[in-house]
Amino acid sequence: MTVLPDGVSVDAEDGETVLRALSRAGLRYRVGCRRGGCGICKVRLVLGEVAYERPIATTVLSDEERIEGICLSCRAIPITSIAIELQEGDRLRKVLGFAFPA
Amino acid sequence: MSVMRLGFVHIRVTDLEEARNHYSNTMGMKVVHEEPGKLWLKCWDEYDHHSLVLEEGGVGLVKLGYKVQTKDDLERYEKRAQQFGCTTGRVSAGENLTVGDGVAISVPSGHRVELYDEIEYVGTDTGALNPDPWPRDGRGIAAHWIDHALVAADDPGLLERFFTEALDFHVAERAITNISHPEVLGSWMACGESPHDIAVIKGPDAKLHHFAFHLEDWNAILRAGDIMSMDDVSVDIGPTRHGITRGTTIYFFDPSGNRNEVFAGLGYRTFPDFPTVNWTEDQLAKGIVYISRELNEAFTTVFT
Ligand code: FES
Ligand SMILES: [Fe+2]
Repeated sequence: MTVLPDGVSVDAEDGETVLRALSRAGLRYRVGCRRGGCGICKVRLVLGEVAYERPIATTVLSDEERIEGICLSCRAIPITSIAIELQEGDRLRKVLGFAFPA
Repeated sequence: MSVMRLGFVHIRVTDLEEARNHYSNTMGMKVVHEEPGKLWLKCWDEYDHHSLVLEEGGVGLVKLGYKVQTKDDLERYEKRAQQFGCTTGRVSAGENLTVGDGVAISVPSGHRVELYDEIEYVGTDTGALNPDPWPRDGRGIAAHWIDHALVAADDPGLLERFFTEALDFHVAERAITNISHPEVLGSWMACGESPHDIAVIKGPDAKLHHFAFHLEDWNAILRAGDIMSMDDVSVDIGPTRHGITRGTTIYFFDPSGNRNEVFAGLGYRTFPDFPTVNWTEDQLAKGIVYISRELNEAFTTVFT
């Protein structure tokens, strides 16, 4: 998957959420509960498709948002190659300096 | 008599089985009753029938139950809530499992608070006759009891007025913008002598920030942190100490994203004449996380 605006590419394993794949790569971005409850981790799905294995409350992610391509990155599992765009003002941050070549 | 304590928390969870695992195996509560889509639980050191209701579907708070001592208290607080301008209603016995007649109040922040004076007594796991200090079969964190809740309100000052003027709570600590223009940003209020039974911070109306479990001491907080790692619990902040209340703490999330806290240390007692402690906005991070003095973004943005 590709993360905009940084343009960084990361491999996600089968069944892995967007959040987990990015964490595993030593990258951080804006998240809250990491458990699908707060909506802080929303990103825009620019390309590709994601699926949810757990129920998502409509108070957290509305149907309109889904149609607009907003996804809950702590629960969304890529099922194709995807590109996502972080929220305005958010950027990827490297927490493991050696882990990922910027 | 004043309100006695936070008696029960009723929340929504997206997946009941994951929630059951978290609250029973990780937190150590016992499931005391279940129906399709709903669970009732209690902690080992609690003697009332239940202190937590989990309802499948969505996230966030359904209501908070506060226990009072007598029927007269129910009537008096119902009247005073109405005088304050709140909508109230009656709750009949049995609407909440094993709970007697009660009063429902829609408080100024839009949360539903219910007062009741009767609930089935079941006793603690150690009993009330020559008891051991803790049960040998405690699971996971083995939390003692549900201690307090922190809710969000668009106007925390108004909610503070409601709890103090209508329900006789007193303010242990308060967060304000600054001394010259003291707009209330947060308030920690007690009905008994513990530092807080309800707290409010500025945020979206009707939302929950967290509810907290009481643990014995700082060592128990560390042990709880270890168990959270073993069980892959999403941790928000801590272990650390709060400047406000002096309690030691970890904030974390249940599997649906509702924030929990483990909280230890009765930092002081709040008698009715306790002089309110104030924190100014510029020092608020220290008030909340005393050691690092730095709040993460999630603390003020994540509500369910
Ligand atoms: S971080 Fe809370 S919903 Fe994703
Ligand atoms: Fe708390």
